[in-house]
Amino acid sequence: MAFIEFRGKKVEVNEEGFLIRPEEWSEELAKVLAEAEGIDELTDDHWKVMNYIRQYFLDHDIAPMVRLLCKETGFPLRYIYQLFTSGPARGACKLAGLPKPDGCV
Amino acid sequence: MEAIANHRFTLESLSKSITRRLAILVNSCVHCGLCSDSCHYYLAENNSRFIPAFRTDRLSSLFRRYHTWLGRRIPFWVGAKEVDALTLKELTDTIFGECTMCGRCAINCSIGMDIGFLIREARKILVELDQVPRGLQSAVDKAVTTGNNMAITEEELIGTLQWLEEELQQEVGDTWAKIPLNKAGARVLYTLNPREPKFFPLSIIAIAKIFYAADEDWTLSSTNFDATNYAYYSGDDQAARTIARRLVDEAEKLGARILAVTECGHAYRSIRWEAPNWLGKRFDFQAKSILELIAEYLREGRIRLDPSANSKPTTLHDPCNLVRYGGVVEVQRYILRKAVSNFVEMHPNRERNFCCGGGGGLLSMSEYAELRLKAGRAKVEQIRQAGAKVVATPCHNCIDQLMELNKNYNLRIEVKTIGEIIADALILPSGQINPSSDYPSKKG
Repeated sequence: MAFIEFRGKKVEVNEEGFLIRPEEWSEELAKVLAEAEGIDELTDDHWKVMNYIRQYFLDHDIAPMVRLLCKETGFPLRYIYQLFTSGPARGACKLAGLPKPDGCV
Repeated sequence: MEAIANHRFTLESLSKSITRRLAILVNSCVHCGLCSDSCHYYLAENNSRFIPAFRTDRLSSLFRRYHTWLGRRIPFWVGAKEVDALTLKELTDTIFGECTMCGRCAINCSIGMDIGFLIREARKILVELDQVPRGLQSAVDKAVTTGNNMAITEEELIGTLQWLEEELQQEVGDTWAKIPLNKAGARVLYTLNPREPKFFPLSIIAIAKIFYAADEDWTLSSTNFDATNYAYYSGDDQAARTIARRLVDEAEKLGARILAVTECGHAYRSIRWEAPNWLGKRFDFQAKSILELIAEYLREGRIRLDPSANSKPTTLHDPCNLVRYGGVVEVQRYILRKAVSNFVEMHPNRERNFCCGGGGGLLSMSEYAELRLKAGRAKVEQIRQAGAKVVATPCHNCIDQLMELNKNYNLRIEVKTIGEIIADALILPSGQINPSSDYPSKKG
């Protein structure tokens, strides 16, 4: 297992940087995850996407379909890919503190 | 200790399932070393541990210990090894984490051993020993229990397809353009990789647009839509049969003449080449890659393309399971040459192509991510030498690995499916070309 240093303590992540314990997520931690993802500054639009994913995950224990993501944020699909260049799974879900989604991602 | 005793018992009892092919191959390696330079892991790490023959030797040593007379009596004499916790962990790392079953070593083997086959046989043993890495097992379990490897519900799929249908209609300017669902008697049943509806639906719109332009009689299934079969990767034949049977039943139920597989290497291999053996029957329908259909449309003049719509230098990555193991080699080249104005091959290519490093289910096994990215170095060099700005590949799995290589090695490329490239160059029945620059633009 790998760790990232955050506020003097170690937060466990898997080898691809996904949190092992989603409950350890915080907005400050998301900024650290974003840096590792190559996103220098999280904009309001990033937060809108991440907050929706986060809430959906807390309610349903799974990441939302990208259709819902577009519908609820009002963002076109291609804009979401621009915001998170690693895609909704490896980018947005990771920053929102979700475990790595199953399947071909 | 009890667990190890169980492992011994399992290994001894496996003798019932040893096929003639396995018994011959597991004893055949002459250790000539030709396979070493053929392997992208060995090229990246330059360590004897990563020579394909070393991997198969681990399987052979277990085989000799439990299934040969000498190995049972004087194991050290024939290099036979006991299974204990350490070798089991080593075996799992070697068999799952250090091989993508790409088969490149097999075509370079001096005696023609299919090493990829041996690795999968070893994975089958590890399934029995309950050693499949968690992420891979989880994808298999989701597929078996929910019908697709991302646990997408029927309602979610239908909602997404309706959304995409509206986008398609806007894109082609025709409200008659459809994404048909569960249509009995359709000529073509098209199947998806669940990551498409879940996260990357542009490829669905692209193919729907091609079907529309070709005036194809096609359908999707709202329940059995998942073309993938991660049990092929994990080595679980029982689960593989369950997953494959659903697709076969669906195609037969709807009466489709062609089961078309999305751009996904192992999905094509599974349904086209493995499923008839898993299920012990010939199918009444043809299993085809969507690329083969697109090539037919082009040959028959059912679709027309304007290559000037794709002017950036474009190269092609050949997915191992589609090309080396699947035999779909030339159609993608035929299509791309008609869809892009500057096509360049990377070298080596076709069945000699290097694996991207993400095959074999490696993308789903996070524990081996670091090595996976290192093992992509051969592919990175190929892409750099080709000098292309766009890398096309007919495999969603390869796409994710290539996107990660792009980021980690700063390649500055775009990675696209072939369908997306074709859709951009498509001359619509109305005579217009409508590159998909902004869609889906609506709000879901």
